[in-house]
Amino acid sequence: MKKGSGPFFVLQSVGGARRDRKMDLTPFSLSVHWSDRVAHALLVAAGLALVVFLLAPLGTILMKSAQDRAGDWIGLANFAEYFRAPALARSIWNSVWVSTLVTAVTIPLAFTFAYALTRSCMRFKTLLRNVALVPILAPSLLAAISFIFWFGNQGLLKVLLGGGQIYGAPGIVISLVFATFPHALMIVVTALSLTDARLYEAADALGTSAWRKFWTITVPGAKYGLLSAAMVVFTYAISDFGIPKVIGGNFNMLATDIFKLVIGQQDFSKGAVVGIILLLPVAVTYVADWWVQKRQSALLSARSVPYVPRRSPGFDWAMTAYCVAIALLLLAVLGMAVYASFIKLWPYNFSMSLDHYRMGLVEAGIFGAYVNSVTLGFWCATLGAAFIFGVAYLLEKTRGLHTWRSFMRLMAVLPMGVPGMVLGLGYIFFFVEASNPLHFIYGTMAILVVNTIVHYYTSSHLTAVTALKQIDNEFEYVSASLKVPFWRTFFRVTVPVCLPSMLDVSRYLFVNAMTTVSAVVFLYSPKTTLASVAIVNLDEAGDIGAAAAMATLIVATSACVCIVYYFLQVWLDKRTQRWRQ
Amino acid sequence: MEEFLELRNIHKRFGDFVALKDVSLGVHKGELVCFLGPSGCGKTTLLRIIAGLEVQSAGTIVQAGRDISRLPPMDRDYGIVFQSYALFPNLQVAQNVAYGLVNRKTPRAQREARVKELLALVGMPDAGPKFPAQLSGGQQQRVAIARALATSPGLLLLDEPLSALDARVRVRLRGEIRSLQQRVGITTILVTHDQEEALSMADRIVVMKDGHIEQIGTPGEIYGRPATPFVADFVGKTNLLPATRSGADRVQVGEQRFECPVAAGLANGAALRLFFRPEDVTVRGVNGATPNSAAAVVEKVEFLGAYSRITFRLNGIDQPLTADLSLNDMAEFHPKPGDTLRVAVPPDRLRVFTA
Repeated sequence: MKKGSGPFFVLQSVGGARRDRKMDLTPFSLSVHWSDRVAHALLVAAGLALVVFLLAPLGTILMKSAQDRAGDWIGLANFAEYFRAPALARSIWNSVWVSTLVTAVTIPLAFTFAYALTRSCMRFKTLLRNVALVPILAPSLLAAISFIFWFGNQGLLKVLLGGGQIYGAPGIVISLVFATFPHALMIVVTALSLTDARLYEAADALGTSAWRKFWTITVPGAKYGLLSAAMVVFTYAISDFGIPKVIGGNFNMLATDIFKLVIGQQDFSKGAVVGIILLLPVAVTYVADWWVQKRQSALLSARSVPYVPRRSPGFDWAMTAYCVAIALLLLAVLGMAVYASFIKLWPYNFSMSLDHYRMGLVEAGIFGAYVNSVTLGFWCATLGAAFIFGVAYLLEKTRGLHTWRSFMRLMAVLPMGVPGMVLGLGYIFFFVEASNPLHFIYGTMAILVVNTIVHYYTSSHLTAVTALKQIDNEFEYVSASLKVPFWRTFFRVTVPVCLPSMLDVSRYLFVNAMTTVSAVVFLYSPKTTLASVAIVNLDEAGDIGAAAAMATLIVATSACVCIVYYFLQVWLDKRTQRWRQ
Repeated sequence: MEEFLELRNIHKRFGDFVALKDVSLGVHKGELVCFLGPSGCGKTTLLRIIAGLEVQSAGTIVQAGRDISRLPPMDRDYGIVFQSYALFPNLQVAQNVAYGLVNRKTPRAQREARVKELLALVGMPDAGPKFPAQLSGGQQQRVAIARALATSPGLLLLDEPLSALDARVRVRLRGEIRSLQQRVGITTILVTHDQEEALSMADRIVVMKDGHIEQIGTPGEIYGRPATPFVADFVGKTNLLPATRSGADRVQVGEQRFECPVAAGLANGAALRLFFRPEDVTVRGVNGATPNSAAAVVEKVEFLGAYSRITFRLNGIDQPLTADLSLNDMAEFHPKPGDTLRVAVPPDRLRVFTA
C-alpha cells in the first residue's frame, strides 16, 4: 500500500462510499450471536451520539427560527420580517454572487495547474504541488490579513489600486480564491489522473489532433471532477466567515450576518433564520454533488492504465512558467502575513522584532488561545479519529440492524452539507438551555472537540470507509467461522492494516481543528478561546500585527504537525513493509 | 443412511430475484461434494447459506443431527476458504493458522504443535515465519486451508478456491486438496464453475442451474448419463440434436435415423433431443452394416494436442456435428476439409431427452 507522491498534509480520498446491496426482503432471520449484540449496542450508542451532537442541534435551529425572542411559536413571521429588511436580503445576493465569482476564477486557475501537474513534463512538480496546497495549513483569515498588508489602507501596493479599495467584495473574492485554490486543485488533480491512457493511445493511433483529444477525452473525463470542485469551492466561499469578517468592511454576507445577529444583537431567532437561508444553497450544492459523484463512479472502469505525459518543450515551459507564477503569488500571500508578524510597527517602522509575539500575544494573555487550539487539535486527532474509524468499521464490517445502519450512514455524510456557522449556531441553541442534561459541556473544551469532530466528520468518515472497503469482507467471515469475536479481528488485523488511513484522518482533523473559525466562534468561553478565534478578535481590536503573528503560529504548527505525521508514515511503512508488498 | 449435512427445501429470494428454489440435498459424512454450475446459478449463495453468511428465505439445514437453520456463523461448525485466500496480511503464516486456536485458549505448546502439524499436512513445514505477501497464490491457498482445518471443524467449505490461480498450479493443487481431504476425512463442499475441477475432485457433483438442482451424481454418472440436456451440454463437449420418435428404439433427426434406447410411454412423433459426445463418434471399422453409421462431410479439422476435433455434416441435418479423433485415427484416416468419411455412433452411447 504505497502512499504515492501525494501531498503529505491533505486528506486524499473523498467519495466512493456507496455500496449496492440487493435488498433482502425475507422475514426469516438468523438468531443473533452475543458478540453481534455487542456490535449492535456500540452502533446504537454511536448513532445516538450523532443524533445528539448533529441532528438535535440542527433541529433546534428550525425550532428557534419559528419562535420569537420570548420563545413563543410565531410560525414563519421571522422569515417574513427578514425578507422585509432590504439590508439583510441584500446579503443573500452578495453571498451568491461573490461565491459564484470565486468559483468562476478558482476553477480555471486550478484546472490549469492540475493539468500541468498531470499532463506535462514540467520540472519541480512535487515542490510546486506542495506549495500550491499550503493554504490548507492556514486559517482562511490569513489571506485576508495578508491582502490588508498588501493592498489595505496602509498597504505596500495600495497605489496599484488607484483610488480603489481592497476592503469589501474585491478583498473577499481574492482572499477566497487563495483559500479555495488547493481544495479545487486536489479534486481536479484526482479527476485528471483517473483518465485512461489507453484512450489517448487509441486516439493517437487514429491520428487525432491534440486539440481534439483535449475536448473529446480530457475534458469529458474530468467533467465530474470539475463540477465537484466547483461545488466545493462555492460551498466554501458561501459559508466562510473569517474572510468577510476581516476584509469585508461594510460588505455584508450571510455568514457575517449570522455572527452579527447572534453575537452582536443576541437575536437568536433571526440568526436561526439566516442560518436556514445559508443552509439552503449549501444543501442544494451538496445534493447536486452527491448526484454528480454517483455518476462519476459509474463512469470509472475497474482497471485503467495511468497516463504518462511525454516531453514537449514549449508546452512544458509554458506550464512551468504558469505554475511558478501561481506558486509565487500564493507564497507572496502567505509570506506577507509571516513577514508582517515580525515588523515592529507597520507602516512606520519596518525593523524586525518579536514584539507582536511577545507583547501582542504572550503579555496580552492571548497565548493561552494557542495552547487551547493545540489541545483541541490533539483531542480531535486522537479521540475523533478513533471514534470515526470505529464507527466506520462497525458500519461496514458488522451485521444486522440494517435500517439503523442506513440512518447512520446518512448522518455520517450530513455534516458536509452543513456550514460551520450553522452547526455552531445549532450547538449554542441546543446546549445553552439549562434544562438540557448535557448543558454542563457548554463553554468547555469538550463542546469544542465534539463540535469540530462533527464539523469535519464526513471527509474523515469517507476516508475510513474507503480504506475499510479495500479489505476483504472475507476477513470477518473467516473470523466468524473460527469463532473469533469481531473486536479481536478489529484490533489484531483491521487497525494495523488501516493505520496509514487512520493517520490521514487524524492529521486532517488536527489541521482543521487548528484553522477552523466558523463553528467554534459561537462556542468558546473566555477560558477556551482558540487561536483562530483570537485572530478575529485581535483584528477587530485593530491589532492586526498580533493577528498576523497568531496566524503565522497556526501555519507553523500545522506544518510541523504535518511533518511529524509524514515521518510517522515513513516509520510505519518501514515497520510494516515486511508484510505489505 | 443418516446424512451428515441435510438441506431441506431451501429457498432464497433477493427482492424479486429468486436465487434458489426448493433445493434439497444430503451430504454423507466424509465425502467431497461439488456444487457445479454457470455463474448466477446459485451455487455460491447455497454455500453461503450453509455458512450462515446469507439467510435462506425458507428451508431447513441440519448438520450432524443439529438444526442449524437459524444459527449465526459463530455458532455453526465449519471452516471456510475463499477464492481471495483472505489471509490476514499483517500476521505471519503460523499466526494465521493459529488464529482460531488462540481464541480457544489452547495451551501454547499444544497450539504450536498443531500449527506445525497442519503446515506439514499442507506441505509447507517451513512457511511459519513468513508473511502471506511473501508466498505464491497456491501457497497462500494452502495456508488458508490449514487455517480452516486448525480448529478441526466438522465441515469444510471451499468457495472457488482455485479460480484465482493459474492453470498449472490449479491442476496440481486440486489433486493435493483432494488427497488432503481424503486423509483428514473431512466432509467438504466445493463450489466451482470449472467442470474439470468438479469431475476430478468430487465424490459427487451437484449440477445447478437457475437456482435449482439439475442432477446429483458421481462424476461418472454426470458425464456418462446426464439427466438433462443442460447437464449434457454444460459438462463436457456434446452434440445435441432435435429429434422425433420414430419407433420403439428409433429416432429421426432430419433425414437420418438413429437406433437408440428411447424411454417407454412416448408416442411416435414426440419431440426429443438426441445427445452424444464427440469422443463417442467412431471411424475405425465402420461400414455400411455398422448401426448408426452415415457418410460425413468434413468441414473443419482442429488440432488440439492429444486429439483432433473434426467438424462434419451429415446429409439432411442442418447442424454441424463434432467428433474427437485420436492421433492414431488421424494418422490412419487423415481427414481434410471436403473429405467424405464414414462415421458411426454406437447405440449405447446415444441418449435421448424429451424436448
